[in-house]
Amino acid sequence: MRIWPAILLLLGLAGLAFGVDKDGAMTLSIPKDVSRTATAMPKNDRIWSAVILATNPDAPKEPPVELREFAPRLKRMFGYTQFELAGSATEEIDELTENWLLPSPIFPLSVTARRATSKEARGGYLLNLKIFQQNRQVCTSEVKLAPNSPLFIRGPLYGKGQIIIVLQVQH
Amino acid sequence: MKPFEEQFTAWVDGKLTDAELAEFEKQLAEHPDAAADRDDALKLGRLLRAHPPVLEMPNPDFFNHQLLQRIEAETPKPRVVEKKQWSFWSIPGLAWAGASCLIVAGALFATMIPGGPKHLETSTYFAQVVENWSTDPNVTASTVYDPKDQMTVVWLDGLDYIPATYALNK
Repeated sequence: MRIWPAILLLLGLAGLAFGVDKDGAMTLSIPKDVSRTATAMPKNDRIWSAVILATNPDAPKEPPVELREFAPRLKRMFGYTQFELAGSATEEIDELTENWLLPSPIFPLSVTARRATSKEARGGYLLNLKIFQQNRQVCTSEVKLAPNSPLFIRGPLYGKGQIIIVLQVQH
Repeated sequence: MKPFEEQFTAWVDGKLTDAELAEFEKQLAEHPDAAADRDDALKLGRLLRAHPPVLEMPNPDFFNHQLLQRIEAETPKPRVVEKKQWSFWSIPGLAWAGASCLIVAGALFATMIPGGPKHLETSTYFAQVVENWSTDPNVTASTVYDPKDQMTVVWLDGLDYIPATYALNK
């Protein structure tokens, strides 16, 4: 019949209209995160950690590439104008095994991760995080961490600035 | 006395006795066509005996039915053009209705939901601290959320100050 192509075109356009939202509720296809949780954990999931030195110099420098997406938010949250990367470390996530991150020898981090099953976690992890200052454990946290949702830790004061530690899951 | 017709039939068949024959022949004078009729009857009898009787069909109704069906099949029918009536409950009608509903739903989603589709796209998940406790009596740990900037900060107070002379990446 002649109207079938028109109907298919309309349905296709409607599908495009709803299909553009990757994680929204209106997505008609299987959400990416749900499909990921149904399969085996990909081996390339990593956790990135960094030690940031935040200061207020007279002539602040541009943040390094790794910190550019965080810098405006860090500025508003902590009130510093310059952010430098003092060190970073990336480790592949080995589930249920303790992973050690050493973005700086002064701040070792122990991370035990397991995949979060809830849909809202968006393919992230539930982390058991132990924060150390040198060889002294100062804090333990249970944190849900998803890709593109970094966790910041306000560390000690350093000189005239502040130490900030950041953790982020990377697919 | 037998009627003439009966005697005539018996005469044709040759079944009259001599007395009956003599009596019957007296009556023939009054029926001049009787001899010709007898010849015709005898000729017909011979003809019928010479040809076998017509066979009876075992299933005459079935034969008639088959014959009528064949005749109907071979007779061209006048083409009747039926005017198709459009019905909403046909497949194309339902498909149109479905497509229209999708378009209306998309338009409502784009216009009625606060913030529109971009609102959902930008509302990204940010880290959640389920539990947080200090393992050092001099240190306090708390959690700070900033939904506007989508930031989660584990706020540690009481950590040892580090002088600027101390290299962080030693």
